[in-house]
Amino acid sequence: MGEGGGFRPPEQHEREQWMETALSMAKEALENGEVPVGCLMVYRNEILGQGRNEVNETKNATRHAEMVAIDQVLEWCHQRDRDQKEVFEQVVLYVTVEPCIMCAAALRLLNIPLVVYGCENERFGGCGSVLNISKDDLQQTGTPFQCIGGYRANEAVELLKTFYKAENPNAPKSKVRKKQ
Amino acid sequence: MEPQCKKRKTRTLGTFTWEVMPVLSDEKLCEVELVEAFAAPIINKKQTSYLIKQLASLYPLNNLPHIKRVRTCRDKSDHPLEIIICLLRDIPNRKLSLSDLFREGKADGIGLGEPFQVKIPAYQPLTRFQFETASQHWPTTFRENKQVTDALQGHLFNTEEKAKMQTFMEKAIEVANFGKKMGMEPVGAVIVNPATDEIVAVGHDCRNGPNPLLHAVMVCIDLVAYGQGGGAFNHNKYPYCYFKTVESFPGDYAINIGKSLLPSDDRSLRGTTVNGLPYICTGYDLYVSREPCVMCAMALVHSRIRRVFYATPSPDGALGTKYKIHTKKDLNHHYDVFKGLMEDECQFLLS
Ligand SMILES: [Zn+2]
Ligand SMILES: [Zn+2]
Repeated sequence: MGEGGGFRPPEQHEREQWMETALSMAKEALENGEVPVGCLMVYRNEILGQGRNEVNETKNATRHAEMVAIDQVLEWCHQRDRDQKEVFEQVVLYVTVEPCIMCAAALRLLNIPLVVYGCENERFGGCGSVLNISKDDLQQTGTPFQCIGGYRANEAVELLKTFYKAENPNAPKSKVRKKQ
Repeated sequence: MEPQCKKRKTRTLGTFTWEVMPVLSDEKLCEVELVEAFAAPIINKKQTSYLIKQLASLYPLNNLPHIKRVRTCRDKSDHPLEIIICLLRDIPNRKLSLSDLFREGKADGIGLGEPFQVKIPAYQPLTRFQFETASQHWPTTFRENKQVTDALQGHLFNTEEKAKMQTFMEKAIEVANFGKKMGMEPVGAVIVNPATDEIVAVGHDCRNGPNPLLHAVMVCIDLVAYGQGGGAFNHNKYPYCYFKTVESFPGDYAINIGKSLLPSDDRSLRGTTVNGLPYICTGYDLYVSREPCVMCAMALVHSRIRRVFYATPSPDGALGTKYKIHTKKDLNHHYDVFKGLMEDECQFLLS
């Protein structure tokens, strides 16, 4: 819409502030019996989408927080007749856990430039933990994106641990990892 | 529907223009890895069991349980057997003398000849081909997985199964063409319950619509969810994408978890039913005209699909071309993948 100005990466204090909101989404997921992952999609200092895991509710195992938030951004664009591509190219994703391989590929396909995340995703991580979809050379799969990890990681991990303890009280501690 | 039935009638049973090949993990396809070791001839055959015992306590070779310690030498006349002593890396200066090994000083009396170096297989072979190569170096144990061998020789499916597979892929091609007419990428997908041969969901690619992530596979996964009383997307605009409602199963008789082609200690099939319904795509097969991308391949891991059949490879494909996500060790679910089913027809679809 000719607002001009390219993409401005967020400052440190902004990242912390947005991550606070993402964490509250993760807590909401926990309260609803879903894997506690929460995220926000921020475009020019405005939240266009926020999501939490909805796998159980929808019986669709791909309804991770990121996918839910993406749909909200798409809806926002649709309502305002805005070009999706232009908007996503300036969106920052804040998510409590490193995106999985599937979500990392989705973020590439939408050309999202930057992801700020909390803890690592040892089981499914697509930004370095299991595969490095965010950086790999994939000509037909959108554009690579930048990742900044470690924001409020301890709190994100604690939420996951709480979830898995409730799901399986006999689970050995080492198995307490993200299973989105 | 009509022309398809006709086609089926005229098709001579047993002749197919295509061949499916399994997409196996790199470990199963790779060359045999070798490691250097010291061996020695057994001059006095009567000492064999004593030598095995002695060497097993000196060098247990714990990481090489597949290696047979002793081999027979058919061609060599001067000694009947040879025995592995240790790995080359077990001896710091790589110089091994028998007097060092047997401190009691009875090196000659024990009936062992001069040590020599050999290369032995570092891992247990996974396929017959690997086994044959490995055995040329040193005898190893091998528990053949008949299915993997059959698969590698292209004998995995009989004529009847192939005819069924072709029917499902034809359905995927049909829906891809419907999507193409609506301006979509010409990719179609069908999800089947192999226990009943029922089609559970049919979908075409919708990425050129309002949601660029609605690849054919993602559409089908969501349609399966609808069939189970869930779902997330509005598919109303796409009349050719549909699902079959799955009634609550009495017990779980209709869920064919099936045997995995690839031996694994996959624990992911635990808890496969929730309130009598399958957990998402557990036990189901997917037929898709083009190799899935990373997003779709991983979505199928999350959805616990059983098998995937695709026709043509994709440049960034994640089930054989760029990655083999279905065999990735670190992930908690694995599935079997076959490519080449009606490859020419699906290639034509894309052109
Ligand atoms: Zn994800
Ligand atoms: Zn895809």
